[in-house]
Amino acid sequence: MTDGGLLNAAAGGDHAAFSEIVNRYYQPVFRLVWRMTGGGGDSEDITQEAFLRLWRNPAQVREVAALKGWLMRVASNAVIDRSRKPRHGDLDSAPELVDPLARPDASLDRSEAARLVDAKIAMLPERQRLVLSLVYFEGLTNIEAANVMEASVEAVESLLARARKSLKESLSPQWRELLGGLTEMGR
Amino acid sequence: MEHSKSRSPDELLAIYGADRRRWPVGTVDSAILAAPSAVAEATSIDRILDHASQPMAPEGSMARLLDRLNEPSNAEIIAFRPGRASKTQFLRYATLPLAASLALGIYLGALGALDVALPTAITGTVALGDEVDDDLGGVGELDVYAEDNVT
Repeated sequence: MTDGGLLNAAAGGDHAAFSEIVNRYYQPVFRLVWRMTGGGGDSEDITQEAFLRLWRNPAQVREVAALKGWLMRVASNAVIDRSRKPRHGDLDSAPELVDPLARPDASLDRSEAARLVDAKIAMLPERQRLVLSLVYFEGLTNIEAANVMEASVEAVESLLARARKSLKESLSPQWRELLGGLTEMGR
Repeated sequence: MEHSKSRSPDELLAIYGADRRRWPVGTVDSAILAAPSAVAEATSIDRILDHASQPMAPEGSMARLLDRLNEPSNAEIIAFRPGRASKTQFLRYATLPLAASLALGIYLGALGALDVALPTAITGTVALGDEVDDDLGGVGELDVYAEDNVT
């Protein structure tokens, strides 16, 4: 069934139809939120809020063909809203990503390389992190990403180029080791 | 991907990386014109990005979402935010006392009940105009003045 059919059924209170929407898009929305929050502990809660908003008011989705993009927009806006609210003593939801090379005796294996890259992505400005997640990791087209971000395609391209450049600069001290290590590990 | 505007192959590499599946439609053929150094750099960034984590939602996460579908929504609750009273409200509450104060002032002024509190320059005979012979303006001496100064 198409997204439009599922959405119509869900609007009538059909749990099974909504469950199918969840099956289709929960993981990509979760991954986006996880990257936006830097692996934050509230990724599940934010992801669920986006879906609950859809369940409670499906009429908000004006372009049914872009349902995935709508969910991603709601979720990413929720991440940005939360990041701007002051937090006091909320240690459980602090980013969990750490730089493995901060330990002087660390040797870089695959999982640590992944954590290092994750940590550097988490340090990017939020719009750069968002565009990188959408286009690179979730495979959205530049137009789909522009719709999610409510920006122009030119702005998306500019942010994407800056994100890649910033990432390279932030990883430059470990760049050779990182690439060499990954090559040795069977790349 | 859709083509946004004319981009050089090197720019496309910097934006979308070396994987041409990410390039806008109609630009892939231009990749052959890209500088080798730009290709190498874009490829290395892609390889690093490929090793980022691919997180999965925690076990039972979707089931927990479906369990929440029957929760009452708090979206319709409008939070009370005390704020400043509007200008209209201020005028509505201030008009009656101001009008009463004005009426009382006019009444007391007409009775002269407040004259004791005022300077004699205001309340004295000159101010009240009781001295009919007083000619403060000198108009009564106009004839004398005119006759004395005829040349």
